[in-house]
Amino acid sequence: MADASLREQLLRLLLLPVACILAVSSVAAYYLAREPATDAYDGALIDAGIALADRIHVRDGTLAVDLPSAAEQILRTDQFDTIYYLVRDPSGKLIAGDAGIPPPPVAQRPQDRSVFYDATYRDTRVRAAALLAPCGGRVCTITVAETTRKRDRLVREILLGSVMPQALLAVLTLALVWFGVARGLAPLERLSGEIRKLSPRDLRPIEPAQAPAETRPLIEALNQLLVQVEESNRNQQRFLANAAHQLRTPLAGLRAHAELALAQPLSEESRAEIEQVHSATVRIARLANQLLALARAERGGRVEPHSAVDLKGLAEGAADEWVHSALARDLDLGFELAPASVSGDALLLREALGNLVHNSIEYAPRGGHITVRTGARNGRPFMEIEDDGSGIPPQERERVLERFYRMPGTAGTGSGLGLAIVREIAAGHGAALEISHGMGGHGCRVAITFPHG
Amino acid sequence: MRILIVEDDPSLASGLTRILEAEGYAVDVAGRGEEAVGAARGERFDLVILDIGLPGMDGFEVLRRLRGAEHRVPVLVLTARDTVSDRVHGLDLGADDYMAKPFAMPELAARVRALIRRSQAQTGPKILHGPLTLDTVARRAYLAGEPLELAAREWAVLEVLLGKVEKIVSKESIIQAVAGWDEDLSPNAIEVYISRLRTKLERAGVHIRTVRGFGYMLEEFKIR
Repeated sequence: MADASLREQLLRLLLLPVACILAVSSVAAYYLAREPATDAYDGALIDAGIALADRIHVRDGTLAVDLPSAAEQILRTDQFDTIYYLVRDPSGKLIAGDAGIPPPPVAQRPQDRSVFYDATYRDTRVRAAALLAPCGGRVCTITVAETTRKRDRLVREILLGSVMPQALLAVLTLALVWFGVARGLAPLERLSGEIRKLSPRDLRPIEPAQAPAETRPLIEALNQLLVQVEESNRNQQRFLANAAHQLRTPLAGLRAHAELALAQPLSEESRAEIEQVHSATVRIARLANQLLALARAERGGRVEPHSAVDLKGLAEGAADEWVHSALARDLDLGFELAPASVSGDALLLREALGNLVHNSIEYAPRGGHITVRTGARNGRPFMEIEDDGSGIPPQERERVLERFYRMPGTAGTGSGLGLAIVREIAAGHGAALEISHGMGGHGCRVAITFPHG
Repeated sequence: MRILIVEDDPSLASGLTRILEAEGYAVDVAGRGEEAVGAARGERFDLVILDIGLPGMDGFEVLRRLRGAEHRVPVLVLTARDTVSDRVHGLDLGADDYMAKPFAMPELAARVRALIRRSQAQTGPKILHGPLTLDTVARRAYLAGEPLELAAREWAVLEVLLGKVEKIVSKESIIQAVAGWDEDLSPNAIEVYISRLRTKLERAGVHIRTVRGFGYMLEEFKIR
């Protein structure tokens, strides 16, 4: 979207009207200011003509202008301009002055009053005034012209004094819009920050009280959506709980009956068949558990807020269950537990550690050793498990985290979901999952390291 | 010994019944919570196996009513749900043990035995474990009928382990249970007592397993 920026849109929208207003107001200001000033200058010009009229005398029967050279000097110059004059008798004959001053346009010839007009004299623009003056009982024509320097200066002053501030105002307005938009949008920035802080686990409605009124409808709409998302999360959780119940109860029955059957005297063939049923049941149960765990571990799968979880206590609480599985496979399961507190979801963290322990139990050779550790390293809480089994080669360490991936040649009945679940859970806690080898380069070590407490 | 199974799934209920009957218990089954509360009021059971996900009145409610009526019968809760809050909730309401479905039958049988033994230990003076007998009133121990000499501390440690057969007992909790208020027992001292107990009990097939870095577990007695 080319005009996605509110700022650009606003500027584009404002630029033309502002420019138009600026142009119109400049022109208006120019004419409004120039008119009275020009009138005043014209008045001064005509005064010079009237003064000149008084100087026309009849001498020896001819008309002459009696103008001492000092007076002429005064008449001809003012601070800025050169003034020209011309006096003609009624027949149009030159009496005195500068013959070259152009006469007024025909339509404007003076009848009973003076006229003003613009002309060019000696290659310079001049402002001229023509008036009729009585002379010896007749009427002479006096023309006075002056260069336009002070008038031009006036125009410049008007432009500078009135149009410039307006142009400045326009530029300032646009700049204000540019920065004002940023300032005006600051509440939206803050709102974005608030929204960024939300997570599937923390869908608290946004507090509209400190937001500007204009953003409230947005916040309210968003809050409504949050309520819906939370509700849908809860529905999913309910569905998972129900699915778990619906799956596990019949599986428990199936397993119970298979084990009962195996406890009875059976033909070798029947025993083999029922053992198949039994092991398939155990596998399905495990798979169902893992799929449910994966669904819970995924973003939005659980809406329980994080709370303080002691990793040591977590491992101790689950140790009973693990030790029995380990003993059944003749493995030595040991613990090196130091207190470590993280903010997290206790059920998911227990699931993650349990998956790691079960992986080791599943793949360790008989008589092997497995150690569960919790504590803090460089200020970061961790939980890890180390075994002396066959390990995971470096080139497989990324792939084993994929769902349903199993290393080639792996024995056991795993589904390939265990580590994928661990990865989801670690990610959901902002924790790093690292697979390496155990002490002395043998076996496998999988560590989940949490961010600084 | 009489056990009440509260489970609405007929297949699982019948499986549990047959396994527990094979272990020598008398078994009654209730398919609904209301039925279970009525049965427990009317008759005396040594153990209740209670499913949480019941139609109508759920397992938590059944448990609440049993405990509300001052029933001290041990309750083993079964659940197909697996939220920590369920587990905590169940234990808070007074469940004695907790198992997630599906489970292995031998494990269920072991838990049932442990719960019944524990409740008898609380009511009776004698604790039995295979060939081992602890007479808590006379404070005498017998191994395969022969008197067994135990120092006071050894007796205390063994009593703690016998209270939680097949469960890991951490060293710290042994120290807490064994040491007096003003004593400062070291974990090493516990190791010494365990080692002496092993010397005395191993020959009769009573095994104490070390859980490295954590504690000890008295294994269930198995005839070999």
